[in-house]
Amino acid sequence: MPLASYQTSVPVVVDDAKCIADKGCTVCVDVCPLDVLRISDMTKKAYMAYDECWYCMPCEADCPTGAVTVNIPYLLR
Amino acid sequence: MALDEIVDGLSEVSCDVLVIGGGTAGPMAALKAKLKNPKANVVLLEKANVKRSGAISMGMDGLNNAVIPGYATPEQYTKEITIANDGIVDQKAVYKYAQNCYKIIEELDSFGIRFLKNENGDYAVKKVHHIGTYVLPMPNGETVKKALYRQLRRARILISNRYMATRLLKSADGRIAGAVSVNTRTAEMLVIKAKAVILCMGAAGRLGLPTSGYMFGTYENAANSGDGYAMAYHAGAALANLECFQINPLIKDYNGPACAYVAGPFGAYTANNEGSRFIECDYWSGQMMLEFYNELLSGKGPVFLQLKHLHPDTISEIESTLHKVERPTRGLFQQGRGVDYRSESIEMHISEIGFCSGHSASGVFVDDNARTTVPGLYAAGDMASVPHNYMLGAFTNGAVAGVDAMEFADSHDFAEFDATDVAMERDRVMAPTRREDGIPPNQIEYKTRRLVNDYLQPPKVTRKYELGMRRLAEAREDMQERMIARNAHELLRALEVQSIMDCADMAAHASLYREESRWGLYHWRTDFPEKDNENWFCHTLLSKRDGKMTSEKRAVEPYVVPIADDEKDLYDKQRIRASA
Amino acid sequence: MSSPFESYDDLEDADERLQAADPAERRVAIIALGHSGDPAAVAHLANMVSDPDAGVRQQVAMALGEFDGPEAAAALVKLLVDPERIVAAAAADSMAEFKDPACAEIILPLVKHAHAFVRMGALRALKELRCKDTLKPALEALQDSDAAVRVQAIGVIGFLKLEESIPALTALINDPDAHVRRAAVSALAFSHMKPAAETITRALKDSDWMVREMAAETLGLNANGSLAADQLIGSLGDEFWQVRLKAIRSLGKMKVERAVRPIGNSVNHEQANLRKEAAAALGEIAHPDGEAFLAVIADDPDPDVRKNARWALQQTAARKARAGA
Repeated sequence: MPLASYQTSVPVVVDDAKCIADKGCTVCVDVCPLDVLRISDMTKKAYMAYDECWYCMPCEADCPTGAVTVNIPYLLR
Repeated sequence: MALDEIVDGLSEVSCDVLVIGGGTAGPMAALKAKLKNPKANVVLLEKANVKRSGAISMGMDGLNNAVIPGYATPEQYTKEITIANDGIVDQKAVYKYAQNCYKIIEELDSFGIRFLKNENGDYAVKKVHHIGTYVLPMPNGETVKKALYRQLRRARILISNRYMATRLLKSADGRIAGAVSVNTRTAEMLVIKAKAVILCMGAAGRLGLPTSGYMFGTYENAANSGDGYAMAYHAGAALANLECFQINPLIKDYNGPACAYVAGPFGAYTANNEGSRFIECDYWSGQMMLEFYNELLSGKGPVFLQLKHLHPDTISEIESTLHKVERPTRGLFQQGRGVDYRSESIEMHISEIGFCSGHSASGVFVDDNARTTVPGLYAAGDMASVPHNYMLGAFTNGAVAGVDAMEFADSHDFAEFDATDVAMERDRVMAPTRREDGIPPNQIEYKTRRLVNDYLQPPKVTRKYELGMRRLAEAREDMQERMIARNAHELLRALEVQSIMDCADMAAHASLYREESRWGLYHWRTDFPEKDNENWFCHTLLSKRDGKMTSEKRAVEPYVVPIADDEKDLYDKQRIRASA
Repeated sequence: MSSPFESYDDLEDADERLQAADPAERRVAIIALGHSGDPAAVAHLANMVSDPDAGVRQQVAMALGEFDGPEAAAALVKLLVDPERIVAAAAADSMAEFKDPACAEIILPLVKHAHAFVRMGALRALKELRCKDTLKPALEALQDSDAAVRVQAIGVIGFLKLEESIPALTALINDPDAHVRRAAVSALAFSHMKPAAETITRALKDSDWMVREMAAETLGLNANGSLAADQLIGSLGDEFWQVRLKAIRSLGKMKVERAVRPIGNSVNHEQANLRKEAAAALGEIAHPDGEAFLAVIADDPDPDVRKNARWALQQTAARKARAGA
């Protein structure tokens, strides 16, 4: 069977202006228990690559520059 | 390079003690093993990152089973747990925990883990339960993982992050020989030879599907997909009382605890729609969950955590814990719903099912030295069978496992495993990456967990179970023949689905085996509605024999803390209805 | 394949990375040093306390909290007096993590600092160190003009549990700030001598309900608490049920028989928590006079109240049987 991808609004938002992933920071990507954050090849900033979030907060709490915001996933809200 | 691109590779390392799982029990086990023999190599393998992995990634808001001198005794605690588990308890391990846990609290305190203290420096222990006093709040407990990680680094433990263990390796004579693992970002495989292995892989928390429908909105950390249960099973270890499911009270939709243990000492309580308490039993148990479940369906529901009778200053104090520790998005969630605890109660519900000894009694069978039935293999924490052991039990029993495993490693050489076992495992692990076309893991997972909800969730009905097992077998066939993983991250999920499927099969098998009802909601069988002490006052052990899932009875060990007849029924007797 | 293990070579090229022109890069280097667990990292971090970038200094303050001992303390002392609040706050949090008593003498001078935030941070850190040399400065800090500083000083003194500090703690019972009074009552729990009990008893009449609640609870922990039984009975008429609840609990623990009737009067209170506590206390005391009150709530709509009432009746019956035998 062929595969299709479908749209989903992801709970973790990264403020590119504050994110220092382009300077070598990987804190949020490192700490995520579900391993859903990645650093974009294009922008060199962190982003949520997979919508598999436990909204547990280490990415937001540990971000050195306050660039990460965790929202409640839409289905729970 | 494309996202999470698959790299073909296989390497091998060896160590004296391998600890799998870096959440709560694992770091403690690794530390104690290293302390026991500082010259030995201790590897701590973790699917996520030790810094923030496991059930307590954002800390813990309190201990609810602390046995602190002057407040509770080991004997009293052992009785309480025995009664809460309807008597099906090997007390030796529970009693040992109760004797050791205060020492562990002191040690955690020295690590910098923060417990609530009075201004005189004493622990501010709170009374919540009817009989014993076991609650020690941790309003600043958000740094537990940070403190643990610090200790691991100081001890120079070999930490391996982002490696998911997939199968255990054994020698021909049945001794543990190591484990196979796979990197979750590259799919490279790593074989770890070890003289002793400790499994600390957490609950099977991704078994049922949360009512929100969001697959990762589980009560347990969603990374806890039951891999430890599946690995122990395939290694031939016995698993105890898996029919004693974990089901917990939680904030409706949010799927985190409310949390009565935080708010309880301040006077908050669980109430029905009339604003009255309704829970008759005392200690957290399946009976309590049955009363919760019944109330939800009774017309007196919904069920709430009620705080609005408290002083606004008290509520602010409760909020400062609830919204900072353990599940800090609780505050954000309530804000989104427009709920202010001062004027509105918190709607609660019950969680999806899972396995977790931390809250119930379903775990890999261990004795009081954390030994499983496989020589050299240990288990601790939520996945090991010491009932109701929560976070403090994970630490305490993890410490026991670490010491005993190092003693085992010191007196044994490496066991030899068969290289073909590794080759076969590599084929199994990589299979979804070698298909061009098929079904992605998320769809197989959703379907499996939806079937768990539809057919396995209590009340347990034999006919439904039989149908559910047929449907699960079909899903398993799809999983084995057609599942695809297009990158390393999807492969991680594909491997987790296989753990989930194994756990679903075990949940069904174990539940059908025990032909009685016990532990309240956890094992409520409508075809056998009564407790049958004559035939079923025993543990059940599930294991893989000759490739087949089998169950057997195991006698409850003689009690070390005798319980008088009138105490045995203490809980039943307390459940007195108002005569009006 | 690279090593599957976390590196323990974090200090390699650390100096070079700490001197990067971009402050963000310096931050990244500091985070790595903090996680290293290598005591040698402290010296590198200490070199960064004067970094021109406040964000970098904040990161240094956080990283130093991963270590313990005088060297890390000396660096943090410099960051606690940083003019930027984010830096000072991070330093205060990190300093509170220390357990090595040798840090005390380094932190101690800050107890006299001009800024209240610094004094508070220093005292907060000293609390867990439980170092006898800190008693005198902490006692002096009880006169501080800032209430939050006084609260922290109480903690330092309370954790030391020295009888000689009782008079100073007693004097705080008249402090203008309710948080201070509450903390003083909590600290006095370490002493089981009469003077402490007497002071706590006076706090039962405090104008703030949370101080009264703390006093009622703390008396139950004091070996001489029963000297205050009459005053605790007086608290059963407190306008706050929270205070009455703790007074009932303490009277129950002390098994004060003349409290049975006053406690019994609470069994009709609308607040189920209070009815429950009254039942439990009547069970602790187990006096026959309690039975009539317990009969009222044996059928209470609240299961916890019923449970406790039932248990209390059993206790009372058991005591009667013992007396008869």
